[in-house]
Formats: sequence, C-alpha cells, structure tokens
Amino acid sequence: MKKAAFSIGCLIAASLAGESMAATARKEIRVVGSSTVYPFSAAVAERYVGKNAGAASPVVESTGTGAGIKLFCAGVGAAHPDIVNASRRLKASEYADCAKNGVKDVVEIQIGIDGIAFAEAVAAPGIALSIVDIYKALAATPFDKANTAKSWKDVNPALPDMPILVYGPPTTSGTRDALTELILEKGCDSDPAMKALKDTDKDKHKAVCTKIRTDGAYVEAGEQDNLIVQKIATNPKAIGVFGYGFLEENTDKLKGVSIGGVAPIYDSIASFTYPGARPLYIYVKAAHLKAIKGLTEYVAEWTTAWSPTGYLKRRGMVVAPDDVRAANATIATSMTPLDPATLK
Amino acid sequence: MRQRLVRRYAAERRFRRSGLAAVVLSIGVLAFLLMSMAASGWRGFVEQRIALPLDVAASASAGEMEDAVAMAAEAAYGADGLDYISESAWKTVRDAFRADSSLAGTSVVIPVPVSSTLSTALRGSGPETLVAAAQRLDAEGKISTHLNTHFLTGADGTDPSAVGIWGAFKGSLFTMLVTIVLAFPIGVLAAIYLEEFAPRGRWTDLIEVSINNLAAVPSIIFGLLGLSIFLNTMGLPRSAPLVGGMTLALMTLPVIVIAGRSAIKAVPPSIRDAALGVGASPVQAVAHHVLPAALPGIMTGSIIGMARALGETAPLLMIGMRAFITTPPDGISSPSSVLPVQIFLWSDEISRGFVEKTSAAIIVLLAFLLAMNAGAVYLRNRFEIRW
Repeated sequence: MKKAAFSIGCLIAASLAGESMAATARKEIRVVGSSTVYPFSAAVAERYVGKNAGAASPVVESTGTGAGIKLFCAGVGAAHPDIVNASRRLKASEYADCAKNGVKDVVEIQIGIDGIAFAEAVAAPGIALSIVDIYKALAATPFDKANTAKSWKDVNPALPDMPILVYGPPTTSGTRDALTELILEKGCDSDPAMKALKDTDKDKHKAVCTKIRTDGAYVEAGEQDNLIVQKIATNPKAIGVFGYGFLEENTDKLKGVSIGGVAPIYDSIASFTYPGARPLYIYVKAAHLKAIKGLTEYVAEWTTAWSPTGYLKRRGMVVAPDDVRAANATIATSMTPLDPATLK
Repeated sequence: MRQRLVRRYAAERRFRRSGLAAVVLSIGVLAFLLMSMAASGWRGFVEQRIALPLDVAASASAGEMEDAVAMAAEAAYGADGLDYISESAWKTVRDAFRADSSLAGTSVVIPVPVSSTLSTALRGSGPETLVAAAQRLDAEGKISTHLNTHFLTGADGTDPSAVGIWGAFKGSLFTMLVTIVLAFPIGVLAAIYLEEFAPRGRWTDLIEVSINNLAAVPSIIFGLLGLSIFLNTMGLPRSAPLVGGMTLALMTLPVIVIAGRSAIKAVPPSIRDAALGVGASPVQAVAHHVLPAALPGIMTGSIIGMARALGETAPLLMIGMRAFITTPPDGISSPSSVLPVQIFLWSDEISRGFVEKTSAAIIVLLAFLLAMNAGAVYLRNRFEIRW
C-alpha cells in the first residue's frame, strides 16, 4: 500500500516536471479565432502536415474573432497563440491592447473574402430586402424610435406579411460584427439625421445604429452555424445570417436572399457588390516566427491555398482579386508588420 | 373488510404495473437512441470507392502523385471526375503503390475513396445531376463498398471521407488515465481517513458538507478552475490530455470520496472488531480487511464518476481541447481532442458528410463507455464478498 502510494506520487511529480519543461518549448503551431475562417485554417493545417513529413499538427481552435484576438494579444511566449484568424480587421483598441502586452509586430495577411449571406429555406416564398429594411427590422431603436415592427410588412409595405424571425450570430462572432458594420450601420446612415449624429454624439449613434433588438425577432444561435442552417431549412418563415460557405454547401435546402437587388452568389461577393461581403484575415505574431518551427511554412501554405485553383475555393471561400493576393503573398514572405496607424 | 382487501390488492397491482411501465419506458428510450445511432452511424464505418484506372511512374513525388490522380480522374470520368474522388484519394494510391511496388509504372485500376458529395449523392440526396451521375456509376459497377479502416486509425481532418476517430480516442484514453491515476488513490485515501481515522468534530462535518457540495457543482465551473490554476498559474500546456485529466480528476474526486465512504461504512463493524481483537493495528485492520471488503462499492462509485468524466465536454472546452489536430497525440502533454469534443466539433462542420461521421463517433464513444463499465463489473464481481 505504502509502496503503491509512493510510486503514484513519484509518477505525478515526474509528469508535472516533464510538463513544465514542455510548456516552455512548444513544437506545434497554435491558431485561434474566427469560426468562419476555422474550416479554411484547418484545411491549410491538414495540407501543411501532409507536405511536411514529421511536422507536429497545428492546433486550430475556433473561439470567435473577438475572443481569439484577446488570447492572441495576451502576450509573447509559448503559452500564447501564434496566429489569430479574423473575419474582420483588427481594431485600433485591440492593437493597443496587444502592444501593451508586448505583442508589437503583428503581420496582417488578407486570405480571401467571405460574404455574410442572408438565406431562407428553398420552400420559402422568396423575399428581397434592402439594407434599410434589414436595419428597420432588426435594430432595437431604428432611427431612435422603439421598434414595434412584427412583420416584414410593417417595415416596408412592399414586403410580404411574414413575421420577422432572423437567426444570426452572437456578439462574440466576427460575423455579427460584419452584420452590424456592413448592413445595419449603412442602413442607419441612409438617414441624413443619423449621419449627422455620428459627428455630434458618437456613442448615441453607435447605440441607435448597431444595437439589435432583443424581443425575440432576432435569435442568437451561437457559433453553431449549422444549427442556423437546420432551423431555417425547416421553417420557411425564418431568415438566417451566416457565412457564405454555409449557403454554398446547402444550396439544395437554402436559397440566398438578395439585398438591394444583388443575390449572394460567388461573383457578387468577390466583386464586393453584395453588401455583406467582407475580407478575411490572419494575423501572425512576428516575435514567434523564429521560435516556433514551421510557422513560416504554415503561412506560406496559405499563399498556395488561396489561389483560384486552390482547395480553399472548393471549401466555399471566395478568392480575393489578383492584386490583393499578390500584395498579401509579398507580405507573407517578407513578414512585414502592419502599420497600426491604418487601423480604425 | 372484504372491500378494503380488494382496494389493497388493486393498489398493489397499480404499483407493480407503474413500476413495470417505468422500466419499459426507459428500455424503450434506450433502444430508440441506440437504433437511431446505429442506423445513421454504420455508414461512418464503411466507405464507397470508385474504380480509378491510372498509370503513375514509380518515382512520382507526393505533389506529382496528386496531380496524376487528379488527371486520371478527369480522363476516366470527364470534367466532373475531380468532384467524384476524395481529396485524399492520392494517399490511397500512394499506399497501394507502397504495399506493392510492382504496380508502379504499369496501368492499374485502383479503387479510391469517393468524395463526400458523391457519397451523399449515392444515397439519393444532393443536386439532381450528381444523383443521376451517381446512379449511373453505381449501375456500371464502378462503385464498391469497403470497410473504412482509416476512420479507426486516423485523426481529425477537413474532408469527411478521410477523417478518423483514433486521435480523439487516444486523447480520451490519455485523459481518463490521468484522471484515474489522480482521482482514485486520492479519493480512496480521503474516504478511508474521513471514515476511519478522522476525529469527529466541527471540522470533519465542515469537510463532509464541502465534499457533498463539490459533487454537485456544475462541470463548467471545474473548467474555469482548470483554466485559471493549471493553465494560467502553473503554465501547463493548453489542449493537453494532462490538463484535461487533472480538471476531470477534480470533478470526479468528490464522487469517489462519497461512494468510498458509504462503501466503507457498509462493511460490518464485526470485521473491524475481529481484526482489532486478534491484535491487528488500526491501519492493518483497514488495509487488510475493511478496504478489500469495501473495494467493490468504491469501484462502482469510481466508475460512475469516470463515466461522467468520459462524456464531459464543457470543462474541456475551457482548457482548449476544442481544437483541430490532424495527428493523434503521442503522450499526455501533446495537444489532443477527446471523443465528446470531437463529436461536438464534427456536428458543427459545414460538409454534409460529417453527419454520419458524427453518429459513428458517438457509437465509438458508447463502445468505449461500455468497455469501461464491463471492466468495472468484472473487477467488482471478482472482489465481491458476500456475508
């Protein structure tokens, strides 16, 4: 009995000692961030392992853009991730947080484009919206008045009499940020009074333009985009908001909702004519480039993956225009840190 | 008198019947669960392959091999050919060449895994043109069904036709190992001390209440605890089975202590008294007589705790075990996933082929659980002592 207890104690002590050493030198690349970029990032990781025999598998975690950036910016060292996937640009405030923790050199690489697609079930009658309709239907206080709209008809008499029910991403998601920035804010600014408010009272403008109603018309469906797909596929009266990749994969169950007359299809997203189109990024910690083996090769793998014939396109990512790809490929090889002055 | 008797019999019959109904209901629910899992999950263990005629030089590198396979697919099945074969089809070809080097340089027909879209189409769902093409290919006898060995030996991937469960299975195995190595001895020692040696008093009562409360704490709280202590304070590696096992050990510990104490309490005092009576020291009495007699009960409690830990997802998400890792872990400190988290991850994948993989993974998890319980039942019966 005594012997057994002693040996168990030794085992625990030995494993702990081994671990603390392992923690200081990390073999694998660590990636965190956006759930939209996650499938692409995972595909690149898989290829990277396939090409570099014996390389440790990168660890890709889907945390959401905001939470990912928080982890990324927490510091430099083995305990902190090397790359953050983002479905929007880094904010100036986030960069300041990074710099405060010693993460000064961050390399920004645009990997492609994604559209936040509005979609409904194939069986649905078909609805065509404008960004102003969406803003009026979803905002908590559209144009600073309480939102009483129950049906799409209340928003715009030309729309069908269908209850407003939109399944969308939660606040931690980059897709949600895109929804507020690309759709709601633009719909809000269509009123000159609101645009003027932006200069006089910025906080008020933000509240009026980006706050989404919480009375049940907009349902937050978590980071589970598949769940949104399932919910709207079975309910012809509901509309879902998610990454374009999910729409493309489920074309037999869902159809895109056109916004301002533009349908969410590949070409309209690549040319940014669809209002929901947004660029996708990865941010690389320059300080880790030497310390983490294979980080450079992993980033290089992205540059072959994002080409028009690459495998990311097959997975639903929209390929960026030639000049953007060329510019970002240069950044990926030279690892030039981003200029914080360009951030908003 | 007679009337009262009739009423009493009726009440007894009612009681017996409602008991039977409860049993039937729970068996029904269990059967439904197993049937639906088996119905959708068995496809995860098999794969369809499509015959691919090709001619590849023996010296081809990995990249050349991939291009050659893609070209062969287009040559055999037209422009859509590339959509029919799995993205990892070239790996199957490579393995076939490695197994039999005389194949290289000659024209051979190798069955390669079909893409997940074709595999869904073979079942009659998806775009109509593809379904028609799938039916034609099947009628021509190009499609064959094989046991998917890669599912049982590989790790996570992005292409549903090439994912495996072994990585997560190994992760679960390592995690459970760490959990049992930590929780079982500590839990049993704590139970013995509290039950046999601790002086009765306010402090012992306080500890007892705390342990009972701890057993009822939601698992996510233990995840937060693990995150702040093991990762942030002690600096242990993220996503490692070691940290997962330690976190789950915290969760399992109170269950083992409570089960252990009641098992020790259930040992008749006469055994203890007899041992002490013939001159054994208190420690000898416990180690030689009470503990062996209580072991079956302790083991039952431990298994309930371990089974709960095996199926636990929430605390592991907090410590970063929700990650994409394409190679199985090679130790308790290398990053890995565990079965329930893998199921959770696959259920959120874009590609439709993951639906059956999710069900198949659930079957593997249930099999793991069953094996663990069977082991415990065996051990318990071996040590069981009847008075």
